[in-house]
Amino acid sequence: MLIPHPLLGLRDAQEFTYLGDARLIDRPDPSAPDAEAAFCDYVFLRDNPAGVHREFWFHEQGDRSWLVVTRDTVTHEVLGAELARDAALSRTRCSK
Amino acid sequence: MSDLRPITALGAALPRLASFGALEIRENGGLALASMALRRGTVEPTPFGLALPGPGRWIAGQGVAALWTGLDQWMIEAEGRAELDFAAELKQLAPGCSVTEQTDGWVAFEIVSRAGTGPIDALLSKLVNVDLADFGPGRATRTGLEHMSCFVIRRSEAHIAVLGARSSAGSLWHALETAAKRLEER
Amino acid sequence: MTRLSGGLIDRSQTLNFSFDGKRYQGNPGDTLASALLANGVRLMGRSFKYHRPRGLLSVGSEEPNALVELRSGARREPNTRATTVELFDGLEARSQNRWPSLGFDALAVNDLLSPFFTAGFYYKTFMWPKAFWEKLYEPAIRRAAGLGRLSMQADPDVYDKGFLHCDLLVIGGGVAGLAAALTAARSGARVILADEDFRLGGRLLSETRTLDGAQASDWISALEAEFESLPNIRVMRRTTVFGVYDHGIYGAVEGVSDHLPEANGRVRQTLWRITAKRAVLAAGATERPIAFADNDRPGIMLAGAMRAYANRWAACPSETIAVFTNNDDGHRTARDLAAKDVKIAAVIDVRPDAKARGDYRLITGGMVAGSRGRLGLKSIEVQANGRSEWIECGALGVSGGWNPNVHLFSHHRGRPVWNEPLQAFLPGENGPLGLIPAGAAAGHFSTGDALRSGARAAQRAMGELGIAASLPDLPRAEEADYTVAPVFHVPGKKRAWVDFQNDVTVKDIKLAHAENMRPVEHLKRYTTLGMATDQGKTSNVTGLAVMAELTGRSIPETGTTIFRPPYTPVTLSVLGGGDTGRHFRPRRLTPTHHWAEAQGAVFVEVGQWMRAQYFPRAGETHWRQSVDREARAVRGAVGLCDVTTLGKIDVQGADAGEFLNRLYCNMMATLKVGRVRYGLMLREDGFAYDDGTCARLAEDHCVVTTTTANAGLVYRNMEFARQCLWPELDVQLISTTNAWAQIAVAGPKSRALLARIVDGFDLSNEAFPFMACAELTVCDGLRARLFRISFSGELAYEIAVPARYGHALIERLMELGADLGATPYGTEALGVLRIEKGHAAGPELNGQATALMVGLGSMVSQKKDSVGAVMSRREGLAGDRRRLVGLRPVDPAGKVVSGSHLFAEGAPWKFDTDQGWITSACYSPHVGSMIGLGFLENGDERLGEVIVAANPLEGESARLRVVPAHFVDPEGARLRE
Repeated sequence: MLIPHPLLGLRDAQEFTYLGDARLIDRPDPSAPDAEAAFCDYVFLRDNPAGVHREFWFHEQGDRSWLVVTRDTVTHEVLGAELARDAALSRTRCSK
Repeated sequence: MSDLRPITALGAALPRLASFGALEIRENGGLALASMALRRGTVEPTPFGLALPGPGRWIAGQGVAALWTGLDQWMIEAEGRAELDFAAELKQLAPGCSVTEQTDGWVAFEIVSRAGTGPIDALLSKLVNVDLADFGPGRATRTGLEHMSCFVIRRSEAHIAVLGARSSAGSLWHALETAAKRLEER
Repeated sequence: MTRLSGGLIDRSQTLNFSFDGKRYQGNPGDTLASALLANGVRLMGRSFKYHRPRGLLSVGSEEPNALVELRSGARREPNTRATTVELFDGLEARSQNRWPSLGFDALAVNDLLSPFFTAGFYYKTFMWPKAFWEKLYEPAIRRAAGLGRLSMQADPDVYDKGFLHCDLLVIGGGVAGLAAALTAARSGARVILADEDFRLGGRLLSETRTLDGAQASDWISALEAEFESLPNIRVMRRTTVFGVYDHGIYGAVEGVSDHLPEANGRVRQTLWRITAKRAVLAAGATERPIAFADNDRPGIMLAGAMRAYANRWAACPSETIAVFTNNDDGHRTARDLAAKDVKIAAVIDVRPDAKARGDYRLITGGMVAGSRGRLGLKSIEVQANGRSEWIECGALGVSGGWNPNVHLFSHHRGRPVWNEPLQAFLPGENGPLGLIPAGAAAGHFSTGDALRSGARAAQRAMGELGIAASLPDLPRAEEADYTVAPVFHVPGKKRAWVDFQNDVTVKDIKLAHAENMRPVEHLKRYTTLGMATDQGKTSNVTGLAVMAELTGRSIPETGTTIFRPPYTPVTLSVLGGGDTGRHFRPRRLTPTHHWAEAQGAVFVEVGQWMRAQYFPRAGETHWRQSVDREARAVRGAVGLCDVTTLGKIDVQGADAGEFLNRLYCNMMATLKVGRVRYGLMLREDGFAYDDGTCARLAEDHCVVTTTTANAGLVYRNMEFARQCLWPELDVQLISTTNAWAQIAVAGPKSRALLARIVDGFDLSNEAFPFMACAELTVCDGLRARLFRISFSGELAYEIAVPARYGHALIERLMELGADLGATPYGTEALGVLRIEKGHAAGPELNGQATALMVGLGSMVSQKKDSVGAVMSRREGLAGDRRRLVGLRPVDPAGKVVSGSHLFAEGAPWKFDTDQGWITSACYSPHVGSMIGLGFLENGDERLGEVIVAANPLEGESARLRVVPAHFVDPEGARLRE
């Protein structure tokens, strides 16, 4: 596969390490009263959709950036990729 | 000045040099390296007068050069300054940046072709999965090379540098030498 | 040797080769198959199951019959298709699956027993008794039914790999592929043209067709010259594109020196990973036979193959031939061979309205219903118009129509679509993105159609890439229509072969139908139709057609075949693609590696690292002697150990302390400049996964260490935390593992030794206490970092200098420390020392242990959040009562074996009475017996108790006393001295 790196263009997937569901970006609030249950979901429960999926890829053999890649798990079509940092920062802004 | 005698990444007193057909591979033992990363709110500095390059690029100045290594992060090279505390010097010129000494983290192999770009491209196509149409002079990338993470820099049409982890210098030399020899045989 | 006239062989040179020990001669340009045929050899193999005599069926990589063992010794290659082997001088080949000889094969008796060996025979027969399968049936079947033999030796040749990128990859160098490559190359696009043959031209090489009134070879030569002159096209002959992968990535194997007598150390084959923006599939088409009774005799081959051998290689299996066809193509064979003075006994065309294309006897509306000739064809039985006659001929060309080579197109589960006029499957709409079929692969069978479709496919591809490409002037070419009658087999009672390689007949398909194995997937597995090296290239469609006829449904209703990579067999050696043995993977050497080597150190692989395991001295005959001595030297004097392999990560930025606070479960933000703190990292699920130290060099600068094994993982996780979890923090990371040579200087005399190298630095306990760190210079001005940390429990330091000085530094320390008893120690002694001190390491932090279990529960700060903190408090983890304890054998001579499970004395050794296990064990020179560490249920409350360590794997057990995990200096006074 080729991953469209937002800074470096198309890069072979061999350069990347795959992590999976990008919802890991939403780490629960550890001080919330239901923190343990929220962390249980966060750590153990993942969707495994046949279709469009947002997932983490780490450009380990490259610029060491974490990407959020949107990929169709059935066709392997990649619909987009962004720096995880940007995704995380915009999430922070949204929630505040 | 300390009387301790350094050894090269390949474990010898002097850097290694070898020729294979039109290609010459030279261990560059004198190259000083320091990484530089922008801190929050820092304005991009221009150390040694270098205009820091963007993603995938490398730029050379007088005896120094810079390559982009990641978002807001560069590697600064200085020829012949491996014995000096280059990181400390850079830190003075890069206020508000995180500077880390990298000289001995890497081994640098300079590969020069006496027959133009052809042998260089042929060598690269055996070693790294890089689209050479987009890898002319001034380009640099980090990528896998025989399962080693390396920087490959196109210094000019007929000159590339490969920087790999110092600890695996022997394996990297073997990979480069093997590929170069095979081109020579062909 | 009898050759016809013409052909693309170099008659000025002779190549010697042997087949089954007999010597023959051929010419450059020959394949092994064509050379054998030119030498009058028709019998080339024995069939898989029935050991039937077999000859060539085809001319290319689809060949099911002529499989040989090529070369000898370690280079012996079984199951090599004679049709794809380029002849070289000295070639040795042997037939396979026969004994004692190809002409007389004792196992041909299987053919007489064929009523028993029908489809499903093995499934039905060797079911019982079950135990007989492995010991009796399988070995016997393997001996009888088999292909070639492996050499059972290591492959002596070298293989290479490489990476190519292009705008357009053209797969196939036939007429369509050449037109596509020309169109794209002239537009300036970067083009790769790959073809499995050693000559460009594809089917053109085997035909007598003209282009612009001239020989096709003139056009090919002109194109080759043009390609040679263009910098933007790479022509790759002998290169098979074997697979299509996601996003335009193609796998290809180039036979670099397969065609040479011996590679002589040069690369044999190269595996190419080609990334192409677009590709044209111009893989041509493969002819299929018509099944009839005894249609597998040597001499019966595909009509197109017979024509190719005559036209390209000036070879023909017999002076008299016949043709059996259901389409016009068979007539071409008759016409071309007649032009070469081969006698045409008859052309039998199933179509009642067929017209002759030359001066030969045509039998219309006819069928071939049988054949004779034990080791080679002698005559055929022809039935037409209610009459039957035997016609003598030494060879029969059979044409059942052509199947487009859609294989690569269906590698992403793209379903081919049935085309009724062509009676064949064509590429459908859902093939791999960017792959455009053209030429015969797309059903364009005439030369003119193929040329145009190739050029248009390239133009379309260029258009999609925004490259303007005009259609080149294409030569005038043959434009014949292709019509084919839907006849796939001749009805009859005798066996008619569909799949030659797997000995599957029409009868077997009937049996599968009768036993309800009707879906194609079942048909394939039940009969083995379409398996093995040819993957049914000549048989799949026929098999499907027969099943369709039996079920009364259409072929598309019956099913299609989905092809998977590889298109043709690929050797494992080339998939390995590079070094074997010592250079199989990168090796990382420590800065003192060469020094240690000179000391005679024994090395151990730790991941990619080579580490000194121990340093044997003269007179030491057992590793334990060396290790005990090294461990004692550390406890009694001073030892030196290279610890460079520990991961070192430079953490800088205004929020460096806060960032580390969130990664380590213990408090790091409060760490003062000039101090070091031990840190434990948890996974988010609450289990411990790595430990190390954090040294604060400045308010905004820390250096953290990781274990050797987890250096990469910890770095990745730290980047995850930095980029994905807390991007608002000002923190920058970079690995410096390789940059610094780090040497542990451990033992009561370590301070005295270091005092001899530091430049005016106060090492006193007051000035530089336990867990202090500093940047300083040593040996007159060399930059260094010093950390007062201890893994052994002794007074100890780690000193780091730029990696290039590591070698000189350890030499200097050894020299200056000679009178202090300075001793190098390796990873074995390192392990003994840490077990004696009760330090948890890899065997304890194995992903199943919590901070509580390793006795570090109090480290998990309750005052702050960190990765894994919340989950570490969940009931299942917090309630775990296993604790790390020390274990000593009750009998001082007793053994402690790691991995043993722990039980209360007298308890049965069962899962529900299991109380833990031993994680680490060693002989302790300090204690004077073996010792161990282990996790034990309520271990912290059971000190002094005797328990049993069971090692049922070796039938052993031992009584052990539970003791504190610290065997040395439990108060920790030594390291603070």
